[in-house]
Amino acid sequence: MKRHLRPGLAAIIMFACILGNRTLEADPVLHVLVQLPLLGVCGALLAPRREWCWAQGGFAPLLAALFGIAFWMLPRSIDGAVTFPVMTAAKFLSVPLIGMLLAIGWRQAHALLRGFLKAQTVSMAGFMAFLFTHSPVRLCNNYLIDDQWRLGFGFLFLAIGLAMVWTIPLLFNARPRASPRTRAEPMTHVQSGVPA
Amino acid sequence: MMDNNSAQRLPGPQAGAVKFTMLLAGVVLLLMMVFGFVMRAAQGDLLDLDPAMFYQLLTAHGAGMVGTAGLTGAAILWYFMGRYVPLARGVFWAFLGLFLLGVVLILGAIFIGGYAGAWTFLFPLPANSGGVWGADAAAAFLLGYVAIGVAFLLLYLEVGRKLIAAYGGIGGALAWPLVMGKGTVEDAPPPAVVAAMATTIFNTIGTVVGAAVLASSLVNLYFPEFKVDALLAKNMIYFFGHVFINASIYMAVIAVYEIIPEYTGTPWKTSRVFAGAWSLVLLFVMAVYPHHLLQDTVMPAWSLAMGQIVSYLSGIPLLAVTAFSLIVYLRKANAMRWDLASALLVLGVAGWSVGSVPAIIDGMISVNKVMHNTQWVPGHFHIYLILGEVAMAFGFMMWLIGKPEHKAIGGFNWAVFSAYVLGGAGFTLMFLISGALSVPRRWAVHAPEWVLQSQIATGFALLVILGAAMFVLRYLLGLKHSAGR
Amino acid sequence: MQALLASLLVVVAGGGLLWQATDGGQALTAESARRLAVQRAPQPVSPFALETMSGASAAIPDARGKVALVEFIYTTCPTLCQSAGADMFRLGNRVREAGLADRVTLMSVSFDPEFDTVERMQSYGERHDADGALWTIARPRPDVLPQILSDFGVIAIPDRMGGYTHNVAVHVVTADGRLAAIHDTGDFEGIIAAARKALR
Repeated sequence: MKRHLRPGLAAIIMFACILGNRTLEADPVLHVLVQLPLLGVCGALLAPRREWCWAQGGFAPLLAALFGIAFWMLPRSIDGAVTFPVMTAAKFLSVPLIGMLLAIGWRQAHALLRGFLKAQTVSMAGFMAFLFTHSPVRLCNNYLIDDQWRLGFGFLFLAIGLAMVWTIPLLFNARPRASPRTRAEPMTHVQSGVPA
Repeated sequence: MMDNNSAQRLPGPQAGAVKFTMLLAGVVLLLMMVFGFVMRAAQGDLLDLDPAMFYQLLTAHGAGMVGTAGLTGAAILWYFMGRYVPLARGVFWAFLGLFLLGVVLILGAIFIGGYAGAWTFLFPLPANSGGVWGADAAAAFLLGYVAIGVAFLLLYLEVGRKLIAAYGGIGGALAWPLVMGKGTVEDAPPPAVVAAMATTIFNTIGTVVGAAVLASSLVNLYFPEFKVDALLAKNMIYFFGHVFINASIYMAVIAVYEIIPEYTGTPWKTSRVFAGAWSLVLLFVMAVYPHHLLQDTVMPAWSLAMGQIVSYLSGIPLLAVTAFSLIVYLRKANAMRWDLASALLVLGVAGWSVGSVPAIIDGMISVNKVMHNTQWVPGHFHIYLILGEVAMAFGFMMWLIGKPEHKAIGGFNWAVFSAYVLGGAGFTLMFLISGALSVPRRWAVHAPEWVLQSQIATGFALLVILGAAMFVLRYLLGLKHSAGR
Repeated sequence: MQALLASLLVVVAGGGLLWQATDGGQALTAESARRLAVQRAPQPVSPFALETMSGASAAIPDARGKVALVEFIYTTCPTLCQSAGADMFRLGNRVREAGLADRVTLMSVSFDPEFDTVERMQSYGERHDADGALWTIARPRPDVLPQILSDFGVIAIPDRMGGYTHNVAVHVVTADGRLAAIHDTGDFEGIIAAARKALR
């Protein structure tokens, strides 16, 4: 996508999320699996294309984003965003910031770190699915138990979908980039930490 | 692509790190064997052991043996994949560091915190100790698993991405072109790569599932209002556990593919059947776990049927491909040189094959209902481990320190090897006999009529420990003398 | 180096944020947070008047100086309120056994006062053997209802079947009008202990 279109697109998404807030937050699936990711995308679109020293390797921004995501995955925070205006405002400010941090960190992250985060994401989506589909108690006072189950299945589909999106291309598409070592030669020195 | 199998004796990358890892593993294996010996001796009334301590030892023995089997497998995988693709050195150190962190947490949880809920941490046992251990001990145990899981994930991500890049995707590394009749044997990746790719995939999936159930169990420990569905948790735990312990053998067998050709002088090539079998193994390993849940009557019937059927079938790719081709291969070889390394590696494949027989019998629903909670089951997995995976690991260790001329086995070495095989066979046979006589597994105290069986098993266990101790000692001395390969 | 420092900073700040957001790792849900908050510091609730199922007037806090054990219901509730009603009956018996019957009052407050008329409250009371003395059913004036629900932290949402889904609990209100504890309706030991504490 052309770079100069990004702020406009981000503004449209943000606007839609704010306007549609009542509708989106009324349903936990729309709230957690549509609105929050959209707000994240919003921030990611606005992420500056710079490389900072503090963000080297992507660790600091990604960690910050992970903590932010953890916060918004607490049932209590989601409930709060529906009940208290302060938390609603916090949602609209912090989730785009999380998206921005993710984008900044991802750009500088080593392939191994990216792989680790993908595995972690699938695993945690599975964990959330597990929790929401099997909790005998309502975890959010603002949502019905049926909605909670639907959210759980949403997370399950998310986990399966992400796993497929991330692994299927690995099955066939990749062509050998370099001739593999067919003869075992002495490999005395291999640099680590080379971004792929 | 040229001949992939010219496995000359060449330095693997990070030989030092791998040697150090194998030394650690050897020592831990010995210690865990001693734990096992103590438990059998206690069951045989040969020593007085507090039942509470018995269950702590049981937990440590289970977690320790599974973890160490995984560790040795991972070291073998890393060492030999380094021959084919450039691996980032830091990853192995991170792996080892995280693994040891996990070991510290687990040992602390057991021997300081008193956690004794078995290596399978079945929900809701960690949270319902009846006052025997606290939530913190259970949490430390689970966090130890998390650390080890992250360690393996990192290792597999590095191996996986390098293999994918080098061999043209997962399909390329699994030799799918050859399976589909499009490639030639010459173009196919070597057997070690096929095995490594398959293991990387299924154990990564296993680790991801394991992480989800570990996280759920951890949350449940501190927030009891977050309940976990016990049956789903059991499914996830056994999927993870089954895949993990299988992966350790499937990684260790890489040592057989890579080392045995040095002894026979003919390269081990990836054939169409071989490649197809490994892709089947990849599916079977993940589909077979419900045979651990045959006693859970609430499981859907189809899953239990699948577990039983796949239990039968999974013996086929294993036996037909690795064991059978090893036999053919050894017969074709002009002159097989036998030393401790090659003898242990071949023993590993033999033990692995033999161990599948009691496993298949246990996989039959009607048998399982009677036998699964008897010593029949430890009988089968101790064959897999003592005479299979661990034998391969010892074989790899002997090869690591071996001299280029490969001194033929004889005299003292032969005696040690025989003691290990005899001890292992006798020890596991006693488990099978006791199991067939309905002696329960996991009981700290045995009824008087079972005591003799336990005593005989204790004797065999001593033989195994003597053999293993000599292997580790020989390895230690060999490390001192070897010029560093 | 800078990156390492930044990461450490993030871990410390992030850990602090989560620690705060979960009340020191104790409450992951709004419901447990609400219970924890009043347990740590009893919170004042605005006094309000009630009309009971016998048509008499009552108030919270109790005008006679009793500790009020309050639950929120609606009389046509097909599920949770019914089992909670059974719990309230048993709780009444426990209160008598504990010798607190003259110092404690049990109140089931309707959050649907326009629909729950005196007759409907009466029939609900009869179904659950509410004696009207120790335990009675009552409704507030509709205009003060939002304030009450907000003070008590009760959220009732339409369940798409003509009824409501709501958080169910027994709220312990002291004679001087403070919400001192919130417990599951079946947690009799906890409720009685909280009532004794509130009487001190």
